[in-house]
Amino acid sequence: MTSLPEKLIGAAAPRPLDAQRSKLPLLLALVVAVGGCVFPFVVTSTLTLSLLTQALIGAMLATGVGFLVRQNGMVSFGHALFYGLGGYILGVLVSRGIVPIELALILAIVVPTVLAFVLGLVITRIPGVAFGMLTLACAQAFYELALKVRGLANGDDGLAVTFPARIFGVPVSLLQDPHSMFVICWVVLMIALGSLWLLMRSHYGLLTFAIKANEERARFIGYETLVPRAAIYAISALLAATAGVLATFYNAFISPDMLHWTLSGSALIMAIIGGTKAVWGPALGAVVFFFIKEIAGDATEHWPAVIGGILIVVTVFVPIGLSGLLVRVFSGRRA
Amino acid sequence: MKRTRKTATAALAGMLTMAAGSALAQEPLKIGVPTALTGTYADLGNQAKRAIEFAAQQANAAGGIAGHKVEVEYLDTEAKPDLARRQAEKLALQGNKVLIGAVASGEALAIAPLLARWDALYVATINKSDKMTGDSCTARMFRVNNADSSDAATATPWLKERKETEWAVMAADIAWGRDVAASFAKSTESQGKKVVSENFSPLGTNDFATYIQKIKNAGAKGVYVALAGRDAVNFATQAKQYGLLDSATVAGVSFVTDNTVASIGEAAKGISGIINYSSTLDTPANKEFVAAWEKYYPGTTPSNFEGDTYVGMQVIFQAVKATGSVKAADLAKAIPGRSYDTILGNVLLRKEDNQLVRPNYFGIVEQNGGKLRPVIKMSVPAEIATVAPSPACKL
Repeated sequence: MTSLPEKLIGAAAPRPLDAQRSKLPLLLALVVAVGGCVFPFVVTSTLTLSLLTQALIGAMLATGVGFLVRQNGMVSFGHALFYGLGGYILGVLVSRGIVPIELALILAIVVPTVLAFVLGLVITRIPGVAFGMLTLACAQAFYELALKVRGLANGDDGLAVTFPARIFGVPVSLLQDPHSMFVICWVVLMIALGSLWLLMRSHYGLLTFAIKANEERARFIGYETLVPRAAIYAISALLAATAGVLATFYNAFISPDMLHWTLSGSALIMAIIGGTKAVWGPALGAVVFFFIKEIAGDATEHWPAVIGGILIVVTVFVPIGLSGLLVRVFSGRRA
Repeated sequence: MKRTRKTATAALAGMLTMAAGSALAQEPLKIGVPTALTGTYADLGNQAKRAIEFAAQQANAAGGIAGHKVEVEYLDTEAKPDLARRQAEKLALQGNKVLIGAVASGEALAIAPLLARWDALYVATINKSDKMTGDSCTARMFRVNNADSSDAATATPWLKERKETEWAVMAADIAWGRDVAASFAKSTESQGKKVVSENFSPLGTNDFATYIQKIKNAGAKGVYVALAGRDAVNFATQAKQYGLLDSATVAGVSFVTDNTVASIGEAAKGISGIINYSSTLDTPANKEFVAAWEKYYPGTTPSNFEGDTYVGMQVIFQAVKATGSVKAADLAKAIPGRSYDTILGNVLLRKEDNQLVRPNYFGIVEQNGGKLRPVIKMSVPAEIATVAPSPACKL
C-alpha cells in the first residue's frame, strides 16, 4: 500500500521499508529468536543466566523508551512510572489477596497502558523538553507516593511478594528460576520486537512517522494526529509495564526504586547506546549497558562514570548507536 | 552431560587431594558482604567492611579457621533493599554463601526470603528491625547486634528519669526508624509522657529545616532521634544552627556514634544515646581486640558498628571451627543454640529467634581520652536488654 504518509516522510526521515526489504535480515532475526531459547542449555552458570534475565527485563523497558523516540520523536524521562506501576499493581494486589493472581496480572498490564493513553492525550501535545519534564513529574509523583505511604508496600523498605503456587496453571517457581525465566523473558521480548516491527511497517506506523516528521502537514491532509501520538505513548507504556511485571515475578519484590527517575534515566541511556533507528537497538543497548555495569561495578564503586564515558563516546562519535553501527557495517559488507 | 562433568570434577578433586595432602584440599570460607559503600549510609557500610577485613586478615595470619582460608568479596548496595537483593544474589551465586554486613533493615528483610533459594545464610550485625527476629525470621538469618526492642528496653529506664514530658521523634522513614518511633511512643505513654511531634525523613535528606521548625513549634522539650550516617550528621548540624540542641534535650539511637561525633564536632557534646558497643568495654577479649585493631589501623579505635560486625565474624568463625564445615547449610544448622566467646564475653545465640543474647548500654557524648566520644553511663544486663523472643517468629 503506497499511502500518503509514506510520501510525506521525505528523504531525510527513516525509511523502514528500504532497510528491511531483503529477506536476509528476517532470516537472521528468526535465527536469533530461536537461538536465544537454547541459551540456558549452553550456559551453565546460574549467575550469568540470572544477570541475562535481568538484562532482558531492562531490554523490554528500554525498547518501550526507544520506540517512543523512534515513532513519536519524544524523549520520556519518566518511563519508570509504568514499569513501577505494573510491578506495584501486581505485587500489592497479590500480597493482599484482593484479586486472583491472573486478574492482578492483567490489571498490572492494562492499567498502566490505559493511564498512559489518557495521560498521552494531554501531554503528547506538548513538544520538546516540556514533555520530558512532565513525564518526569508524573513518575516522581508516584515515586513519592510509594515512598511516603507506608501502608501501601512498606515505603522505602519495599515489599517481598509471596505468590500463590500457580498462575494460569503454570507453577510460579518457573518465573523465579533463571533457567526458565530467561526463556520466558526472551520469548516475550521477541514477541514484542516482532509486533513493533510489524506495527512500524503498517499504515498506522507510517502515519505516526509522518506526524513525527511534520505534524502540521499530516493534519492538513486530513489525519487526526493526537490519538496516534497518544497510542504510541500507550504502547511504549505497555512495554514498560510488561517489564515491571516480569521483574516483580522474577524478584518477588517491589520497592520505590522501581519508580525512581534514575531507572527512567538508565532506560533512556540504554536506548541511546543501542540506537533507536532499529526496533531492536534499545534492547541491544540494554544488554550492553547491563554487562558494562556488572563488569565495571565489580572493579569500582564509580561504575556510573564508566557508563557516562561510554554515553559521551556514543553520542559524539556514533549518534546512530550500536544498532546503527551494526546495520551500517553489515550492509556495507553486502554492498 | 552435566553429570559427566560433575563426575570428572569429583575425580579430579579426588586426585588432587591424594596428591597434595589434606592441607591444600581445605575449602576456603567464602564470605560475601553486600553493604552500603556509597550513599547516605556509606559510613556505616565502610565500618562493617573495615571490621570484616580486620577479622579476615587476623584469621588468615593465624593459618585460617580450622585450616580454611578466609576469602571476602564486597559489593555496594547503596543501602537500597532492591539493590541489596541483587548484589546478595550475585555474591551467593559466585559461591560467597556466608553473607554478612548489610546496613539498612530493609536490606536484610529483602535478602531473608531468598537465602534458602541461594543456599546461603546471613549474619546481621547492623540491621535492627524487630521484624527480622519477628514475623520475618528465617532459619538462615541470624542477628548478633541489638534489636530495636533491645534499644527500647535500654532507653526506657533512662526516659523514666527525665523530667521532660513533651517529646518529639525524628526518625528515618524506613523499617528501623518506624520501629524506634513506635517503641518510643509506647515507652512515653507508659510513663505518662507524650510524643507531641512525630517526623519521618526519607533516607538521604539534606534539608531538615522544616522538621526542626515543626519540632520547635510543637513545643517539644526533648527529641528522640533515629537517624544514622549522613542523615545524622546533617540533622545534628542543622539542629545546632536552629538552636534546637540548646533548647531541647536530645538523645537517639545510632545518632551519636563514634564516627558521627567525629563529623559533628563540638555540637554533639551532651547528646545522649544508646551505645551498643564501645571500645572501652572492660572484658579481656575486648582489650585484646582493641589492641590488635590499633595496631592494624593505627590511630583509630574500633567504633560501635566495627565492634558489632567483628562479633558477627567471631560467631561465623566459631561455628566453622565447631562443625569443620564451610558450607552455608551446615553452618546455618550449627549457629543457633550455641554459646560464643566474643568481645562482649561468652554469649548465647538463642535458637528461638536466632538472636544473640547480649547486654546494651546508654551514655552521653563527652571528652574521654582526649577526644569527644559517646561514653557509657548505664549498663543493662543481657537478660533485660535482650527481650523475650517474639511469638511471631516460628523457626
